[in-house]
Amino acid sequence: MFMQTWLLPFALLATATIIAFPLSRYLAWVMDGKYRPLPVFGWFEKRLNSGPQNWKQYVYSLLIFNTLLFVFGYLVLALQPWMPLNPDHKTLLAPSTIFNSVVSFMTNTDLQHYSGDQHLSNFSQIFFGIANLFISAAIGLSALVAIIRALRSDSSVGNFFLDMWRVLVYMFVPIAFVFALFFIVQGSPMTLKTSYSVSTLEPAAMGTTDKGEVKQQNIVVGPVAAFEAMKMLGTNGGGFYGMNSAHPFENPTAASNFFNTYAMMMFPFALVLMYGRMLGRMRHSIVIFSVMLIMMAGTIVWSICFDTLKPNPGLTAHPVARTYEVPSATAPGGKRAVILPAVPGLPVDQHLGNLEGKEMRFGTSAGATFAALTTDVTCGAVNAESDSLNPLAALAPMVGMWLNCLFGGKGVGMINMLLYIIIGIFVAGMMVGRTPEYLGKKIGAREVKLAVIALLIHPFMILFPSGLFAATSWGLKAISNPGAHGLSQIVYQFSSASANNGSAFDGLGVTYGFWNNANPAPTAVAWDIAAGLVMMFSRFIPIIAPIAMAAYLGEKKSSPFGLGTLRDDTPTFSILLLGTILIIGALLFLPVAALGPVAEHFGPIPFGG
Amino acid sequence: MWKYISKSVLLLAVAVAICCVIYPLALLAVGQAVFPFQANGSLLKGPDGAVVGSKLIAQPFTKDEYFQPRPSAASYDASASASSALAASNYALRDRVARTLGPIVNYKNGPKAGKPVAPDVEGWFQKDVYQGNPHIVAQWADQHNSLASAWVTGDPAHGPYVDNWAKAHPAIVAQFKKDNPGTPEPKAPDLAVVFFKDFSAAHPGQFPSAVTKPGADGKPVTTIEPVKDGSDIQSTFFAMWREDHPDVELQDVPGDYATASGSGLDPHITLQNAEFQLDRVASKWAADTKRDPASVRQEIRQILLSNASAPFGGLTGEKMVNVLEVNLKLRTQYGAPPQ
Repeated sequence: MFMQTWLLPFALLATATIIAFPLSRYLAWVMDGKYRPLPVFGWFEKRLNSGPQNWKQYVYSLLIFNTLLFVFGYLVLALQPWMPLNPDHKTLLAPSTIFNSVVSFMTNTDLQHYSGDQHLSNFSQIFFGIANLFISAAIGLSALVAIIRALRSDSSVGNFFLDMWRVLVYMFVPIAFVFALFFIVQGSPMTLKTSYSVSTLEPAAMGTTDKGEVKQQNIVVGPVAAFEAMKMLGTNGGGFYGMNSAHPFENPTAASNFFNTYAMMMFPFALVLMYGRMLGRMRHSIVIFSVMLIMMAGTIVWSICFDTLKPNPGLTAHPVARTYEVPSATAPGGKRAVILPAVPGLPVDQHLGNLEGKEMRFGTSAGATFAALTTDVTCGAVNAESDSLNPLAALAPMVGMWLNCLFGGKGVGMINMLLYIIIGIFVAGMMVGRTPEYLGKKIGAREVKLAVIALLIHPFMILFPSGLFAATSWGLKAISNPGAHGLSQIVYQFSSASANNGSAFDGLGVTYGFWNNANPAPTAVAWDIAAGLVMMFSRFIPIIAPIAMAAYLGEKKSSPFGLGTLRDDTPTFSILLLGTILIIGALLFLPVAALGPVAEHFGPIPFGG
Repeated sequence: MWKYISKSVLLLAVAVAICCVIYPLALLAVGQAVFPFQANGSLLKGPDGAVVGSKLIAQPFTKDEYFQPRPSAASYDASASASSALAASNYALRDRVARTLGPIVNYKNGPKAGKPVAPDVEGWFQKDVYQGNPHIVAQWADQHNSLASAWVTGDPAHGPYVDNWAKAHPAIVAQFKKDNPGTPEPKAPDLAVVFFKDFSAAHPGQFPSAVTKPGADGKPVTTIEPVKDGSDIQSTFFAMWREDHPDVELQDVPGDYATASGSGLDPHITLQNAEFQLDRVASKWAADTKRDPASVRQEIRQILLSNASAPFGGLTGEKMVNVLEVNLKLRTQYGAPPQ
């Protein structure tokens, strides 16, 4: 049992760490343009390259391209009924859902207010889904590379279009092809068919239709393997099917689950080391890498300890009766007592932990491991239902989103970490009374302001809309679980949107469905719009502000390394960094954690009903 | 500016051509040519050669001759995967698990060791006393309003039954309107709690349930009637029975038997779960085929063991079996179960 629990997360972390070293070398080699392209590739590169850009030009290019991507995605979804590969005649999604989905995929979030298997044609899955899976991931990575070039005072931060081409052609497409092939071998469908209707082995068990005929099982298939590989590699996380990597076609075996999980760690791990290689500061990046690794391991261990190693508390005995005093206008003294009787246990063998919402084929701790990892690296795919995690275990994915730099997403995780580094060095400089420096450049007020703006947009975009929705019927009509968990559902949704993560507590009623749906979730439109705006702000401000910050830093003269310089490649620095992240994170999010998962844990369980 | 727009258009066109045309087409070609079974959804054929489903997608089984998959929040609809999304703290989760357990749980020790608790649940229910107070159904509806209204909406026949009751009891409905000014036009689900309270007083020890009888023309007709035993009572009221009998020791049911999977389509159950169901399956086949129960049980156990596999050979998880594969094997080996 000990090995069955811990081998999987250990093997994943070890594999990702080991492969990160050679992979980061390759990534740096490609992004520094040291390769010699094949003639046909070279022809495209020449056409795409618009010449060296400064940071403003780079940001313009990025924004213009994203605008175009938005229009393209919107058109694909808005024209779904008239496009090919749609034999089931899937009709239009609600306009607000199209807005939400397009923003969501464009920003690498992939929060889904629709279900792919129910609402999208294969054409939309390919030309909206797969297109964005590749492109949005490449955008984040390009932004990181621009920041690195700015920090090392290159004459130009590079060319956005050329960077995008390099990322797509030399990294994502070939690697995704290999992973997709493996997923096909394991059992992921790869076809342009949409579904099969079959009479099951015991046909009557499917039930009968309104006409009294025996129902058939309708099995949805499609180009799943192609979708799946890039969904994970790009830390996108938006599923082909509603239930994402828990669906047997997206994730057919324990082996596919291992590589599903590894795929989302592959680039985030390597990018941190690429940062060090391109700056010529390998030791510094190893310090950052270990800080991230420690925090990531912490969230995994936490999640496993409270989910895999603990039973689902909804089914166990709670032998002590409790009495609460609640305010009451009519009762004498203004208070009345609510008595919660002792609860006997149900006879369920829970030695495998909490199995509600888990799949059997992945292995004992696979669900808890995946839940923590998917938010650490801002992927957002799930292979188990996060809503049904044990209350405290659900803190692990939440912390991953709140800190948003435990390796983090494609490029943006390292960018977030850079902000923490700047703040950490600034704080340390204040403490010793010396001008703070990073990479030999003095950190001035302007840089710190930009870093703080980029950092604070995240908690603001989580806590403000969460508060708004928790206080209004927008949120109260959408939650599906009572009590503290209902608040967790709201907070999780906005955390996921703001962290550009995309996982969700699925019970939350946010799905409008097709535009002519007679019975949509009552507040779906409010959720579509609010989450869409959050994703947009929380994507672009934390990309643009750090590019500006890095550019301003890079423009400064390098001061020589001296005895008083704060060294950024020592264990002391890692403690400084860890402390900065944990203190800032705790200050921002402890209150809401206490009201949500922690309150739920302390009960009463079961609650309401 | 125009330069950036034209470059953006070019980049998007190139990216879409590579990522949405070349990449999936190459995979499609390799997948369909080299791995057609997997690439088309791992479809399995039944004894008569027709496709019966996918090896990777759970399908429902209700007959005792077959092993049953895990409960599905998606009703095994492979075009709408879904999890229950029930939080551990949500009473609905506990209630759903208790309903699964009620009809199948056995005593662990004592004079009735190995015997089902279901008859005792029915006997307790008919006495109609819970926690020392009379009228179990009234208390159930009072404590769990949402379950009471879920009963009304849970079956197309239940709503009209409550509507008919409401027509026959205008005084109670009028009182409800007076007590709930926010609901001036109460519908059947709103009236669930008052309905059950009245029902409980009128039919102590009984619960409305579907009863199928031959009608006037000989065809079976299903109506809702008060009943005092049956699976509805065994499942719905097991949780309350358990609260009245907290110290009785019961045999544990495997966790994956009672919990819903993440996708609603989990094709596997643990070997432990399969062995838990083995007695039921084997004795039923033995009765159908009129053979020695012990040898049938041995054969089926062999089928389970030869199908069982574990994640990474057991390094990261416990043994499990594929429900459809095993049931398909049973079907080919023993023929179709009687209707």
